This record gives sequence, structure tokens and C-alpha cells, in this order.
Amino acid sequence: MEPVIETRDLVKVYGKRSMAFTALKKINLQIYPGESVAIIGKSGSGKSTLMHLLALLDRPTEGAVMIDGVDATKLSAHELNRLRNQTFGFVFQQFFMNPSDTVLENVVLPLKIAGKHRKERRTMAEKALKTVGLSERIKFKANDLSGGQKQRVCIARAIVNHPKILFADEPTGNLDSTTGDKVIKLLFDLNKKGVTLIIVTHDEDLAKLCDRQIRISDGKIIEDTAKASKSTKTSKKSRSEDKPKPSSKTKLATKTSAKGAK
Amino acid sequence: MQFFDVLRTANHNLFRNKVRTFLTILAIFVGSFTIILNVAINAGVNAFIDEQTDVLGGDDFIMLLSNGAESMMSSTGMGAASGPTEYVESEATSSVNALSKEDQEKLKQIEGIDADSFYSPTPINGEGYYASKKTDKKYVIENMMILPPGNFKIPLAAGSLPDDDKDTYQITLAPEYAEALGYDNNEAIIGQTITLAFKNDVLKTWSKVEAEVVGVEANGIVTSSMGSIISRALYDKIFDIAYQHLPAEYKENLPTYYIMATFDHEKFTEDEIKQKVADAGYFAWTVSDMMGMIRSFFDVIMVVFNVFGSIALLAAAIGIVNTLLMSVEERTREIGLDKALGMSSGHIFAEFATEAILLGFWGSVLGVLVAFGIGTAVNAAVHAPGGFLEVFPTFDLFRFTLDNILPLILIIMLIAFIAGTAPAWKAARKNPIDALRYE
Repeated sequence: MEPVIETRDLVKVYGKRSMAFTALKKINLQIYPGESVAIIGKSGSGKSTLMHLLALLDRPTEGAVMIDGVDATKLSAHELNRLRNQTFGFVFQQFFMNPSDTVLENVVLPLKIAGKHRKERRTMAEKALKTVGLSERIKFKANDLSGGQKQRVCIARAIVNHPKILFADEPTGNLDSTTGDKVIKLLFDLNKKGVTLIIVTHDEDLAKLCDRQIRISDGKIIEDTAKASKSTKTSKKSRSEDKPKPSSKTKLATKTSAKGAK
Repeated sequence: MQFFDVLRTANHNLFRNKVRTFLTILAIFVGSFTIILNVAINAGVNAFIDEQTDVLGGDDFIMLLSNGAESMMSSTGMGAASGPTEYVESEATSSVNALSKEDQEKLKQIEGIDADSFYSPTPINGEGYYASKKTDKKYVIENMMILPPGNFKIPLAAGSLPDDDKDTYQITLAPEYAEALGYDNNEAIIGQTITLAFKNDVLKTWSKVEAEVVGVEANGIVTSSMGSIISRALYDKIFDIAYQHLPAEYKENLPTYYIMATFDHEKFTEDEIKQKVADAGYFAWTVSDMMGMIRSFFDVIMVVFNVFGSIALLAAAIGIVNTLLMSVEERTREIGLDKALGMSSGHIFAEFATEAILLGFWGSVLGVLVAFGIGTAVNAAVHAPGGFLEVFPTFDLFRFTLDNILPLILIIMLIAFIAGTAPAWKAARKNPIDALRYE
């Protein structure tokens, strides 16, 4: 199976000359379709920079990011925008909603950017809101929602375009544990349906729920549970094969086996 | 993203901060209002001047005078002011201002001037009055003239112009006389006979002539200055009264002071024909010269208005830049999100540029509406009894047409767009990551 995202010797340097700071040092990783990956690290470790590069929000200083085998650094701005719009979904810690707009208007934003017609936008948004259980809030102003509801609207916005990959940057960072759990469940339900999930977090408990943990420190990968064992590829394959009916048990099992083999 | 979405989004964003948007629109409004009023006055004056030019038979009318007459024309406010003419002994003939038979022959030779159209009635000076059977009051004859050659379209309030082919005494009265002479209205005096009395200055005797009223003139700048129009037969009669003391031979050789004629205006411009006349040693005066005075008065007003309007628009443009810069700053994270979700820089630019254009649009439309309202009210007021244009019912001081409003709205929208480009570029060039992190 081909990786959906692959990086080759990814380097990101901020600033110039004496002020230069290397945030990422030759990162190589592959993420396969349907995986749930946690990128873990302390503040300043480079985990956010890595996510921005993976999500094509920023350009690497050196190296390449391949999406479905295509070198993204060679794409035009137009193709890049299209790829982000069609392939990726984003969930942010700070939500980033337009508070004065309605829930519907917030959810349809990616479709509006894609140039879809109003009718189609409405149907797709209704479907996405149904998935996150907020169908009855469609006419509400975004500002009138609770924190958990806001994040669920953001998930609806992230999935409205049926993306292949969902990026979540500290999705529960601004939520209490109860509402956070709801959001997490939602994200993993989507992952079960086949969406590749990439979560950036410093929360170990949240990271443990993922198939795979990539730990970043000082701009380097210091631990990758997938690479850790020789059986990575086969186990990944088997995992993808029994994807239709995954359970938390099998997840935990692979995780422990991977850790054990380390 | 579709065009309509860009427009909707821009309009939506525009009214997020209503007070700020309103103030910016107000600034544009002041500028556009001033300029639109100015354009409307310009159109109104031009339309009126054009109409008055038609009164003089279009563009082919020319008045031929002696060289020294130039200062005479300007002193009566008809030509361009050139100051008093210095007396030079060797050119003594020009100070007389008269055109002899010899001069007339020379003028007829000038190419482009129609010799057959020459008409040079001798001016008659002296006292005279109008009287009618309906009233005991008598009215001073201010001015009278014969219908000059050329295709004259003198606007009439009633009746017709005198028929020069008939040997009868006919008169088309100047606008204000019908009611003064005791008739209910302009129509009532048509076909009636009035009395014209003239005094011979030398003999100190009065003579009366009965004349049929065939028409009444409508008001206008030209008609009010030329007075009543009389038939050539009536002119000859008045001439006889005024000069009855002179021997017949002398009467025939009285000097002429001006010649009315037409020129071939398809072949020559006014300036060309005037140059030809000047080369021959005479002075010509055309329709434009008469209108020049009116025009120059309004031109000064318009320059002042345009300067004010332009300054206001410049200030408004700076206001647009300021408003949009604040908007870009406030919406930085939103821009970041839009970009993260795949919106192109071009669309972000388009959104902000459209916002600027909409500011220009609303400002100028508001300006047009208010200017239209005020202009229409002023038009009504100046034509009302006692208004300063009461006597010129066809003179709309402000004239609003799609031809003058639409380009102005478009120009203001263009100015707004230009003002909006800098902030729009600033927004479009934002890096999505930095924009999302913006606090």
C-alpha cells in the first residue's frame, strides 16, 4: 500500500544566518491511508511545524512532502490550494470560527471556497452537521454555542468536503474532559470510516488512543511506534485490512506489540 | 469561489462594522455629491446654452463689424473684455465704427461668407412707446429688431414670427408685454392691433403706427436681449418717421454699424472665418462669442466646485485605505483560516478589493440620490414665482442624465478600487500560519 503522506529529509529553518533556527532536522516518515497518528511533543519541539508542513500550510526549507506520491513542493499555488481544499480537513484548538456568522455559514466555508453551488453546499453541510449531532443548531450564531459544540461545528466544517486526511491540532485543548471525550469519539468514529487522522497533541492520554505515536523532540523523531518493529509493514497491512471492523482492543494490541518490540 | 459569493461575502463583511463603514461612505458621499451637483450644473448650463444657440439660427450666424467695434461689443458685455481701445490718430476711421458701402463690398468678397445673406439695418435711436386700447398705460420700447438672415429658431410662447414677404406692419412682442398691455394671456393678444408711437428727435414730433401682433416670444437669454421682432415693412415705416427730416439721398447713404450674415460653417470653423474677416481688416462676432460670457461665468463656478469635490474624494480615498487596513488587521485570523482551507490569494484580494469598490458604489449612489433630490428641489425653487430663473422656464440649473451620472459612479468605484488595492494586497500576501497565530 502506498503512503498517503510521505516526507523525505524534511528540514525547516526559521530566520536567516546567525538568527537561523532549525525547527525540523531531516524528518522521514510515511503515513498510510486509514491510520490514526499522534504527533506528540513538548512546546517548541517542532510538532506544530511538522503538522504545518504535512498539511502544506508552509513550505519546507529542504526535502519534500509527497501527497499520494506527488511532490507537493512542485505544485503550483493553485494546485496546492485545491489539494488542501479537497484532501485535507482541519480542526484547531482555537476553533477559528466567524462568531457573527451562523453555524451553517461556518460549515459551508470550504465548499464556498471550492465553488460549489448553494443548494449542494446546504445539503452537504446538513449531512456533516448530522454526523456531529448538531442538525438542530444549523441557524444558530456560532457565538451562541458552547465550547464543545463549537469544536463539533469545526469538525463538521473539516469533514464537509469529505477529506481523506483530517488534521487536528490540540482538538481538546480548550475543552473540559467530558466535552473533550465527545469530540475525541467523533474524531475516531470518522477514522473508523476510513479517514486518515493526524492529531498533534501534548496530551499522552489522547495520543494513546491513536494507532501510532510519533514523538518529536528538538526537531527530530525520537520515537515512532510504527517504525519501531520490523513487522510494521505487515502489521499495518493487516490493520488496514481489518479496518472495516476495528476495535479499541485490536488498536491497543498493536500498540503494545509495537512498543514491546522496541 | 464564485463571483456572486465574493460579492456577497464582501458586502456582508462591509456591514460588520456598521459605524466605520457608514463614516467611510459618508466621506465618499461628500466628494461624489459635490462633483455630481457640479456635473449636473454643467449639463444644465450647456443644455441651456445649446438651446439659446439654436435661437441664433445655429452655428452659421455671423455678425460683421468694423475693427473698432470690438471694444463696443465688449463694453456692452457681449464680447470678451479687452479694456479700452487706445486712440490712434492715423486709424481715425476705425473710431467711427461705421461700415461704408465700400466696406460692405469688401466684406462680401470674403470666402465662406454668404454675400446674399447680408442684412444691415440702420440702427434707429430715439424715444418710443407701446400702447393698446385695453389700457391707459404706455410702455417704453426698449429694443426692437428685424428677423436676421439665417435659420433662426426663436422660441415662441404664442403665435408666429412676422412675415417679411408681406407688406404689412407685424410685430412679435417680447415676452413681458402681452399682460402689461391689458390682455389676459399671450394667446389673447394674437391678431390684436396695438399702437407704436415714435418721436423724431430733430422735429420733436410724435408719429403713431398701428401694428398687428402675430406672436409673443418665449423667455430666454437671447430673446430678452433682442426685444420685439418687427416685420421689414414696419421697420421701414419707423425708419421714415425717425429720419423724415433728412433728404432722400442722405437717407440712402446712412452708415451701417453692423452686418448680419451667414457663413458656410460646414467648410469653415468659427475661428477660421473670424480669422479671414480679421485678415480683411474687420471684426466678426459669432454665436460662441455671445455664449462665451455666460459660459465663462459658469466655468469659474465649476472649477471651484471640481477642486472641492476632488479634494473631498482624495480624503475619502484615504479613508477607504484606512478602513480596509483596519479590516484586514481585524480579520487576520479569518484570512489565515480561508487560506488554510484553500482560498487563493487572488480571491482574498478580490474580496477586499470588492469591499473597496462597494464602498465607492454606495458612497456615490448616496451622493447621486441626495444631489438629485436637492437639484430637483432647487430647479423647482428657481422657477417658482420670485425665483431667479423664473423668466427662463426651460433653464434647468441642474440636469441629471444617465450619461453624466453613470460614468461618475464608475470613476468613483475605480478610485475606491485603487485605494483598496494596497490593503487588499496586504491581506492576500499573508502567510496562513502567521495569520492563524495572530493575536
